[in-house]
Amino acid sequence: MAQLLFYLLSIAAIGFGVGVVAAKSPMQSVLSLLASFVALGLIYLLSGFQFLAAAQLLVYAGAILVLFLFVIMLLNMSDLDALAEHPTLSLGRARVLVAALSAGTIGVVAILAAGAVQTSETTTMPPGGYDRLEWIAALLFSRYMVPFQASAVLLLATMIGVLVLAKRRRGAAAAELEGMRA
Amino acid sequence: MNVPDEHLLVLAAVLFAIGVVGFLLRRNAIIVLASIELMLNAANLSFVAGSRMHSTSAVPNLEGPVFAIFVILVAAAEAAVGLALVIALYRLKQSVQLDALNELKG
Repeated sequence: MAQLLFYLLSIAAIGFGVGVVAAKSPMQSVLSLLASFVALGLIYLLSGFQFLAAAQLLVYAGAILVLFLFVIMLLNMSDLDALAEHPTLSLGRARVLVAALSAGTIGVVAILAAGAVQTSETTTMPPGGYDRLEWIAALLFSRYMVPFQASAVLLLATMIGVLVLAKRRRGAAAAELEGMRA
Repeated sequence: MNVPDEHLLVLAAVLFAIGVVGFLLRRNAIIVLASIELMLNAANLSFVAGSRMHSTSAVPNLEGPVFAIFVILVAAAEAAVGLALVIALYRLKQSVQLDALNELKG
């Protein structure tokens, strides 16, 4: 039963992943990505990682995708065709070849490696799942304290960087740019 | 009947390959960023599969989910910066096609 559900969810995740890549507009792509994230979150839940499933749904589906949607809505204020591509995929021959070769190589190597893995023993899930919050917290605040604090610094730097990058430039420099473009 | 770990790895491989194809073939910057997020998700899934593989009944291995949490965090930061760049790019070029970026001159 769990295995059937896993196969259904993985087919959904793969299908929506293809939808991300093959979508005609960025809005369709991001909505497919949302469905793929939800499917992956359910796969995490099925595998016994309930905290990671919750984190995936909250952060990925709830924050990152909302950010994507904000930007798409923001940029959609002007011409809609500026965001869509004509044609849908830019099918230069070399580009298709490189993409197919890299995807094929990655897929084949990873599937072969996955087949060669030896599971140490058949494990039963501990009650409450593999990633119980108290164990994760114990690990995060003891062995992974330095990456934890470093990630706080990273987020602060990201916030400052985003503010600087997305700031609208007013003043003499901006007026000069407008004059040059006109 | 539990989910075998190899199938998780195969799913991660397929998702990563799809993300690579999207990253290399699409010309729209937002779709490229979405493919990058797909690749990061595939990496998270392989961390989770590895954690399942190396945990015994007595001692569950938790390195996988902890690292996956860090990957989610870094992915959020990178998506924010990437989208800020897309906004800045749109202000300059009035387009988010990557073909508009074929010159270094502003």
